This record gives sequence, C-alpha cells and structure tokens, in this order.
Amino acid sequence: MTLAANSPVPPVRPGAVLRFLHRNEAWRGYLLILPALGLMLVAILFPLGSTLMMSTWSLSGYEIARTPSLDNYAAMLGHPMYGVLIGRSLEVALVATAVTVALCYPMAYYVAFHVHRHKALWLMLMTLPFWTSYLLRVFAWKVVLGYEGVLNTALVGLGVVETPVAALLYSQTAVTVVLAHSWAAFAVLPIYVSLEKIDRTYLEAAADLGDGPWRRFWRITFPLSLPGVVAAFFLMFVPTVGDYITPAMVGGPDGMMVGNLIQAMFGPMNNWPAGAALSVVLMVTIALAGLAFLIVGRLVRRV
Amino acid sequence: MDVLDQLAAVREGKLSRRAFGRSLMAVGISLVSIPLLPRRSLAAAEDHATYFTWGGFDIPDYFDEYVAKRGELPNFVTYGSAEEALQKLQSGFVADIAHPCLSDVPRWSSTGLFQPVDVARLSNWADVIPELWDVPYNLTEGKPWLIPFEWGQTSIAYRTDLFGLEGEESWNMLWDARHAGRLGSLGAGGDVWWCAAIKAGVPFDQIGTDAAFEKISAVLREQRPLIRMYTDDTTSLDTALAAGEIVATMAWNSSVVSLAAQGVPVKFARPKEGALTWVCGMMLHAEAPKIDSAYDVLDSLISEAAAVFNMRDYGYGGVNRKAFDQFTDADLEVLGLSRNPAEVLKAGHFGVPQTPEWDRRMTETWEQIKLGF
Repeated sequence: MTLAANSPVPPVRPGAVLRFLHRNEAWRGYLLILPALGLMLVAILFPLGSTLMMSTWSLSGYEIARTPSLDNYAAMLGHPMYGVLIGRSLEVALVATAVTVALCYPMAYYVAFHVHRHKALWLMLMTLPFWTSYLLRVFAWKVVLGYEGVLNTALVGLGVVETPVAALLYSQTAVTVVLAHSWAAFAVLPIYVSLEKIDRTYLEAAADLGDGPWRRFWRITFPLSLPGVVAAFFLMFVPTVGDYITPAMVGGPDGMMVGNLIQAMFGPMNNWPAGAALSVVLMVTIALAGLAFLIVGRLVRRV
Repeated sequence: MDVLDQLAAVREGKLSRRAFGRSLMAVGISLVSIPLLPRRSLAAAEDHATYFTWGGFDIPDYFDEYVAKRGELPNFVTYGSAEEALQKLQSGFVADIAHPCLSDVPRWSSTGLFQPVDVARLSNWADVIPELWDVPYNLTEGKPWLIPFEWGQTSIAYRTDLFGLEGEESWNMLWDARHAGRLGSLGAGGDVWWCAAIKAGVPFDQIGTDAAFEKISAVLREQRPLIRMYTDDTTSLDTALAAGEIVATMAWNSSVVSLAAQGVPVKFARPKEGALTWVCGMMLHAEAPKIDSAYDVLDSLISEAAAVFNMRDYGYGGVNRKAFDQFTDADLEVLGLSRNPAEVLKAGHFGVPQTPEWDRRMTETWEQIKLGF
C-alpha cells in the first residue's frame, strides 16, 4: 500500500499492488523475507565486508593506511606461526568435538528411547551447564583442574600421588577437556532430535525379521541419526576453532590457539588489519574444513 | 501480622474491596517513597570522573579526600596492561583519567588523546616529589603530562623455602632450568622486554638497535619453555606463588607485600644486575567529560593518605613527601624504598621512552615469542 502511495506517476489504483502480489508468489516471498534480509545485511554482511576490506589495509605508525594490498596475507604465508596455530586450533576443536559427540550420543539415545515420562525435565537437566555463563564454566574448570584444585586435592588425599599434578592445568589437554564440557548441550540436542524422529516401526520390523539389538542399532538407528550427529559436529566444531576464552584461561603458553593471536592483534599489538586478515583466513579454513567433512560424510554414507 | 491476616482473607475469598484498596495504596506509597529516603549521598554516578587504571587501584583507600569532598567514589574501569589501555582509548573509549607510566608519556601524549595538567588546580601539588615528574619529555609549556602516583620496581618474587637460591640474587633465577614449569612471568612487553634486556646485558640506551632486538628475543625464547604462565593478572601469580605452584616469578612490589602479610615465605629479590624501576601516574584525557571531578581525583591520588596507603599496603613508593614522615628508615629499607626516590630509581634500570615503531616491533615480537615463535 505504501509503495502505491509513494509513487504518484503514473497513478496506480489502490488495489493494484495487492493484486500484483496476489498473482506473483515469488514477490510475496521476497516481501516476507525483507526484514530478515535487512538484518542480515546490517548485522552480518556489513561487518564481514568491513573485515574483508580492513584485511587489505596496512599500518604506518599508529595510523591505518587505506591503500589496498595483499601484504597481510603474504606476511602470513611467510611465517610458520600462523599455520601452526591454525593447525593446533583445528586439532583441538576436532578432538573436543569428537569426544563430545561420542559422549553425548549415549545420553541422547537414553532420553530418546528409554525415558518415557518427564522428557522435558531430562532435556533441561542435560542443558544444565548452560545455565551459567561461559566464563564461569571455564573458571569452574580452573578450580577443578588447578594445582590446589578439587582433582589434585582428591588425588593427594587418596595417596595416589605425593605432590599435586601440575600438568592438569595450563595444557592443550586442559583446553580440550574444558571445550568438550562447555559445548556439550550443543551436541546433545541435535542428536536427541534426530533420534526422537526415528520411526519405531522400522525397529519392530527389523526385530521381526530376526535382527538382534546390535544389528538393529547399526543398520537402522545409527544411520538414521547421522544427520543429527553431523549437525552436532558442525554446531560445536565451528565456534570452538576460534575460541579465545578457554585457551586464554586454561591453556598456558603451549595451549594458545589462533583466537588468542587474533585477540592479541586487535589488543596489545594494535594491528587491526593483520587481525582482520587472520580472521578472514580462519573463516576460509573453517569453511574448507566443514566442506571436507561434508564430502567425507557423503562418501561414507554411499559406501 | 496484618499482612498474614490479609493473605488469609485472600485465600478464603473474604478480603473486602475496601481492605484491598487500602493495602494497594500502602504498597503504592512505599514504592514511590523508598527512593526518596536519605541515601549516603545524592550525587549520581554520572557526576563523577571515570578513572581508567590497573586492576587493584580501584579501591576506596586512595579516595578519602575525594569522598570527603564529593560524597562518593569516582567511577572505575580497569585494565591489565598499558598497551591494552592505550589501544582501548585509541579506539574511542573516553575515560577522564588514565594510568600509564612515565616512560610511556611521549608515546601517549603524541596520540593527541591527552592534555597537560594544570597543577595550580591541585592543592597537594607542592608536596609531590619533583624527581618523579620533572623530566623534559613530561613537560610542555611548563605543565606536566603525567602526575606521578606510584613508583617501584619490577623484579623477582620468590619462595625462600622452595627456590633453593645458589649464590647471589640475579635475573638468572627466572632462567633456572631446575624449576622448569614452575616459573611465572608478567605478560606485558612493557615489563618483560626491559627485564630481559637487563638479563641479556643490553644497556637501555641501545635497546632500539637490531642487535638488541636479537639478543633480547633470544633470552626470552630460551626462557619460554620454563614458564608456567604469562599473565597480567597479578592475583593469579600471587595465588600460584602462595600455593607453591610456581616458585619464582617476575613481579611488582605489591605481590611480595601482600603475600608476606599472609605469612607466605616470599622475598622480593634485589638482582645483582639491578631491577627495572619505574614511575607511573595519571594522565588527563583531552576531552575529559567531568574535568572538575577529574582534578579532584588527581588531587586525592597525590594526597598524603594515598601515598601512605601505597607504601604500607602495596609496597610502592608514595609521591607525597609528607607520607614519608610516618615511616622509619628501617621500615623503608624493608619495603625497598627510600626517602630519596632518585636513589632507588637510579640504582636500578629506568625505562627510556621509545618511538611508536619500536613499541610496535617490540610488542609484535613479544607476542610471537609468547606463542612459541
């Protein structure tokens, strides 16, 4: 209606726009997604674009020189640090994700197949870690793994070790453990949904045809739950690769990940263009890793 | 009891319209009038200057004068390292007062984010020890950029019972392979790079040369495998030292004073090569929105009471001459301080201002070393 009111020449009859929309389904669709599209533009594409643009700038003294060049990317190729850090981040995220998915699958399976009353309560309990902030969860792990922490005190108290184990905290393993715990709810829920959706009559049919419980699981339940597993994998893998808080707090010198370098570039190093370039490289890397995972998943399913 | 009666009446469905109206009115009146009850002060947080400072200085003890005058504390925002602070200010954060160190002054003042301080507006200025601010690069048209607040040393704090000192105290203690994985370090290049220069034997006036960069990087790379944690959070270092998780760490005066007060056997080393010495203080933002309040904050921070607190509770040198009357020479000796600050500052190595290019190169190299390269 407003469109019609705002365009005086040529004069459009009031009903024309409505009639046009009524006839063109595609335009109706565009109109409907317009608000979402606007938000996307402002909140995602614009920052992404400015990151891309900034990654081509450079620094001179304290000022940012706005002549585009690929120097930042070239510098990254020439230094082993970036490769090693990105590699380590991928490795940590991959291990943490695999561990989490493996641990969450039985949990989701139990709730989907063996819990019949108060399902919502069970799901709520599984997301319990998410009721406190991310930072607090990481800090809680510092208390658990610390030199005078819960675990060490218990070990010393039980006489398992004589002096506290220093290696528990400030290591790559600590980062993996904390990530695996902190993101668990992201893995449980998609897996639960895909398990819940499985038609139980398939399982009954398989039982009728003489399949035992294991064969039923491997031939029906597991393949049908794979979409959920893949979704869980992505939901957790993508944000953990660039995680910054966990390695900063429990990583120690050898557990630092690429997120920490990006933070340093935007923080103390005060080199925003280089930080932007590294962020772009990280985004591309994650996209490639995700693509590789998808392709492998396709191949596996076809075999 | 009245409330209970009414609740019972509600439950039984017997509450009269009149009684309900009365209760509702009582609730309404109390809701409206509670904010009018006398509070400790009527000044709102917006009326106070914001003090952007290191974590640990955001405490009421420094602001007796300010509170006496304005009724409430100023606002605080804290940071872990001066680089982080400057970066935040440059990206548009406005705080009336920031807290860098004297050797940062040329770099910070060149950003145009600060204004020189009109000392005529500070009632305690006459008592401030001139050696702490009267250097050419801190002055413009006779006005100082930085008002000194504390001075002290960056040295080694170590556990006397766990470290097993061999020979003299020295910077080599933080490179002692016997304690691999049980040594700590500050995280900011502003301290670490200079201390490593002392260890590497690089004189501070040559710290800008390529050879110096190589030497200092080499000693820092050598040290990294021995370090359990790099952090700007001195509380983390203090607790780790108290627990015996680490046996020695690079530290400021305050760590040792607070740990010793808790009965931890800890000592602030006087390395034979000399410690890193510094003076830090406040700079005034060029567009300080609460300039009058900001001047009162400055005045309070250089007061006698603030200086006494600095010396007694944190072990940092105070800047107000009067504060020294409350300490005997023996007290000062224990704290590693002196009535004549220049004596202590010159006995160690005092940071020399550097160019922005140097600073960038140093920070970049240092961040890479921390990450293992």
